[in-house]
Amino acid sequence: MSTALHAGLGLLRQAMLLAGIAIAVFLLIRVVPGDVVDAMALEGSLDDDAIVALRAELGLDAGALTQFRIWAARALSGDFGTSLRFDRPAAELILAAAPTTIGLAALALAAGLALGIGLATAAVLWPRSPLPALVEGLNLWSIALPTFCVGLAAILVFSVWLGWLPIIGQWLSPVVILGIDIGGQVAKPLFEDLKEAATAAHIRTARAKGLSPVRIVLRHLLPNALTTVVALGGLILAGMIGGALTMEVLFGLPGLGTLAYQAISGRDYPVIQAVVLIFAAGVVLVNGLADLAQRALDPRLRR
Amino acid sequence: MTDVPLNLLRRHLLLGGAALALPASALAQATPRAGTLKVAFLGLDTADPHRHTGSIAVQQVYVETLTSIADDGTVKPFLATGWEISPDGRRYTFTIREGVRFHNGRLLTAEDVRANAVRVRDQVRGGWLSAPMRLVESLEAPDARTFVMTMKEPYGPLLNLLSELWIVAPESEGWAQTIRLPIGTGPFRFGQWQPNVSFQAPAFAQYWQPGLPRAEAVEFSLRDDSDLSLALRAGDLHIGRVGYDKLASVRADPNLEVQFMKDTTWWFWSFNNRSPRPPFNDIRVRQAVSFMLDKPAFMRFVAGDAGVVTNQMAAPGQFFWDKAMHGADAHAAPNEERARALLREAGVNPATTPCRIVSWQSAYSEIAVQAMRKLGFQVEHLALDDIGAQRRLGQYDWDLAPFASGPRADIFLRFVRLMSDGPNVGLWGGTRDAEFDRLVRAAIASVDLPERRRLYLAAWQRAIDNYYTVVIGHAPEPIVNRREVKGYAPGFTWGQHRVDGGLAFAAVTARS
Amino acid sequence: MSASATAGMPRAGGTGGLALGLAVLGFALLAGVFGPSLVPHDPLVQELAARNAPPDALHWLGRDHLGRDVLARLVAGTRISLAVALGATLLAVGLGAGLGLVAEALGRWPSFLVFGAFDMVRAMPSILLALTLMVALGIGIWPLILALGVAFAPHMALVARATWRREGSAGYVAAARVMGASSLATLWRHVLPNIAGALVTQAAIIMPRAITTESVLSFFGLGVSPETPSWGRMIAGASRYAESAPHAVLAPVLALCIATLGFALVGNRLRLALDPLRERGR
Repeated sequence: MSTALHAGLGLLRQAMLLAGIAIAVFLLIRVVPGDVVDAMALEGSLDDDAIVALRAELGLDAGALTQFRIWAARALSGDFGTSLRFDRPAAELILAAAPTTIGLAALALAAGLALGIGLATAAVLWPRSPLPALVEGLNLWSIALPTFCVGLAAILVFSVWLGWLPIIGQWLSPVVILGIDIGGQVAKPLFEDLKEAATAAHIRTARAKGLSPVRIVLRHLLPNALTTVVALGGLILAGMIGGALTMEVLFGLPGLGTLAYQAISGRDYPVIQAVVLIFAAGVVLVNGLADLAQRALDPRLRR
Repeated sequence: MTDVPLNLLRRHLLLGGAALALPASALAQATPRAGTLKVAFLGLDTADPHRHTGSIAVQQVYVETLTSIADDGTVKPFLATGWEISPDGRRYTFTIREGVRFHNGRLLTAEDVRANAVRVRDQVRGGWLSAPMRLVESLEAPDARTFVMTMKEPYGPLLNLLSELWIVAPESEGWAQTIRLPIGTGPFRFGQWQPNVSFQAPAFAQYWQPGLPRAEAVEFSLRDDSDLSLALRAGDLHIGRVGYDKLASVRADPNLEVQFMKDTTWWFWSFNNRSPRPPFNDIRVRQAVSFMLDKPAFMRFVAGDAGVVTNQMAAPGQFFWDKAMHGADAHAAPNEERARALLREAGVNPATTPCRIVSWQSAYSEIAVQAMRKLGFQVEHLALDDIGAQRRLGQYDWDLAPFASGPRADIFLRFVRLMSDGPNVGLWGGTRDAEFDRLVRAAIASVDLPERRRLYLAAWQRAIDNYYTVVIGHAPEPIVNRREVKGYAPGFTWGQHRVDGGLAFAAVTARS
Repeated sequence: MSASATAGMPRAGGTGGLALGLAVLGFALLAGVFGPSLVPHDPLVQELAARNAPPDALHWLGRDHLGRDVLARLVAGTRISLAVALGATLLAVGLGAGLGLVAEALGRWPSFLVFGAFDMVRAMPSILLALTLMVALGIGIWPLILALGVAFAPHMALVARATWRREGSAGYVAAARVMGASSLATLWRHVLPNIAGALVTQAAIIMPRAITTESVLSFFGLGVSPETPSWGRMIAGASRYAESAPHAVLAPVLALCIATLGFALVGNRLRLALDPLRERGR
């Protein structure tokens, strides 16, 4: 199959995927008991008539299918609706929250990749040092210790007991914690890959020729191992969304995760739908890009 | 971290030694407004003050009202300099204050007040003002300084409730639908709002009270944080609410000062009054449950030493509280034997009786669960989030509901929740008692205060006798501020700006 | 940098790791099954006067903010966490692998539909999915197991399908088909045992994630009901009093970390031994 046709089919599949997600989320959150009018009625200022009227005003009394039709039509043109709680366009709330999440994710990814690649490379270069054991340990850390737990422990130790860091709004802890987690996920597979590649014939030839180990690693091994990293990238990103969400809520960062959590608690349908759609679209996009990148990097994968 | 603003520092340097010679008060008046107050109370859910459905701890700094609740709970003039009530109690004539400017520079007139009242009456559904607005016969502004409100029948809580009818300039953007940028008369302007994150309010230079506000701006944190004590101790926040369980650590910190709001939060157990499930429709079972309730231990748990046990919705010491009724509280102390005896008398075997308890995810609700379990019931505890609890309560398929409710501008706003057509009545079991309704309506129609008190108490006696809801006790909300904040005191309710205090009077001085 | 340079290094995970992991898991299992009857205190009984009491001779781990015995709750929480993890994993395997394999065996279109649905679930961040499901289904153990099972099912489905495709092209399957066995029969008798190995490995990865997700959900107020002594609930309740009662929050946090560590160690070793997807000798 030619690359173009393959890419086209892939795109179609992703579009259907997004559509499916949109429908599923739409229905799912309407199964949730209580709606935003209940949220507004909490303080005890709305009597029964007012509640009915408010529901009608917000369009919540129409059938599910009608509501979906209206929402989908608007969403396709970029209008994600208005937050039912705050009376502001959902897109505006998302745009305000997105930089925090993107920044956190980017920094964590950068830190994690630097740590993972650096550690794996160093472990291959100095196999007799404790570095390979460190790679194992780091991998174990990222599998065994949930970021949520590490985050809590960090808050307890650094903010409550030692008082070194503020609790609300600091980026250092979340980035470091997520970075270590990502580093652990990257370091071990990369290390294994590098080790295996090092036994390849052309590397032994290079060694025999007397090239320095560092040069061999940087020029010959790493570029080939990049496919591993890229393949991991998709997995990492998917896992990172969950991690970033908990980190945001734990550390009080005003990102998409906090927005989603509050929107779900507040039954703010338009915001929930918009955020989940954005997340899903993001995951789909990243997986697609990772797929393309893998094909580009590794000639073996091209059919 | 409190920064010393540069202009303040410069001024002090310029004045040099001379500054030291001036008396402190003179220096304070000569000091221009400075510093940003960082505060955290409740949230903000809309930019349209008339459409608020929840907390009112933020709006008051940018919009004001005709009347204001003073720290002792009485109503005082604010944007109105005074009022006259006709002998039949139906006609209120307000004199509007001169020289009050909106944030866009325009002067306030009675016509603006009238426009706001009309908007609340015609465009806004629901809200605590909807009940009085339905009783309005006419709203007039005969001249620029006079506003007349005529009711169809006397309405006692009107002046108190008017403390929440905020006056916004009709030219505000969104007046016809939902206001997006309110132009008010408050000491601070409506600045940047990031829902659930923060709200900035810069000072209004032409505010009608001279010398106010003292701060340059206020920044509200709107986050849902449950524990602000750490932020206060670290200096990230200047003023915030703190839970009772953190008061000890706060009091140990020399940089922090603890004050209390003047009205109270009150805790209660409600029974299902709309469609009670047997055997909880039997009054003896309700009595048994109430005898199992250890009120003093409960109040000690939720509020430490600041809690007070009572059986009324008014707090001890307030005008509508009655000492004799308090003394006759049958459940001031628990009585387990009596509880079990009552159950036997009613022929109820708790081991085979399910008891469904609905609550928020509060620690104190678990005390209720424990008590029921100790009595022997098969307890099913549904601890839900706000909305889930609301929904479940409205289904009236539960037996017991331990909850709490906060300060209000008028006692009527507490009684209305037990009325047949009241708003959000689930927390009080959806009571439908025609005699109760009649007594409360007579109370609010009564012009004579002692008569109103008598009627309210009579209504409340019905609630006690029928065990609609059992009050556990009251405790005031602790508000903590850093010592570098001068001149701040919490008010009667959550309102952060009042005629005699609030954020406008608060100044941020340099950290010592 | 020849292969011999790394030959002398201890094998990743090693027998030491496996022994430790099994020990941890075994201890957790024992604690979960027998613990509640061994600890003399009731995890639900409150004693308000002894709120946040530090550890002493009677209460080895002290009390929590409502005066309940921390050790009793910890042990009861072990049972709940393991039950939730096991339940969720079984559901994920049944729903994911079961449905996925049947669809794959039935043909192209069923496979396309089923895996399309799984892709959709997978594209949603699992935390968000679990959050929404929990708010919809309510609080409790069964909704929790359902939510977690659904969230992890796609992963199992993909692993099962990958193994199926690999094994399906192997010689013995072709031989069985030639002899007239139907697709489903082939699936049942020949391929499943091989897939089981891969699934068990995945289970070892999924179970700790289920435990953690349950803790996160309980921490945020969803998950199990407040008095249920799950580790997440304990952390949620005690984190407010971290300063005055560190024992109440440290105990469940450490329990959570140690349990996931145990699973990780065992899972590591299992992966090396059981997973047919990995080339031998690596």
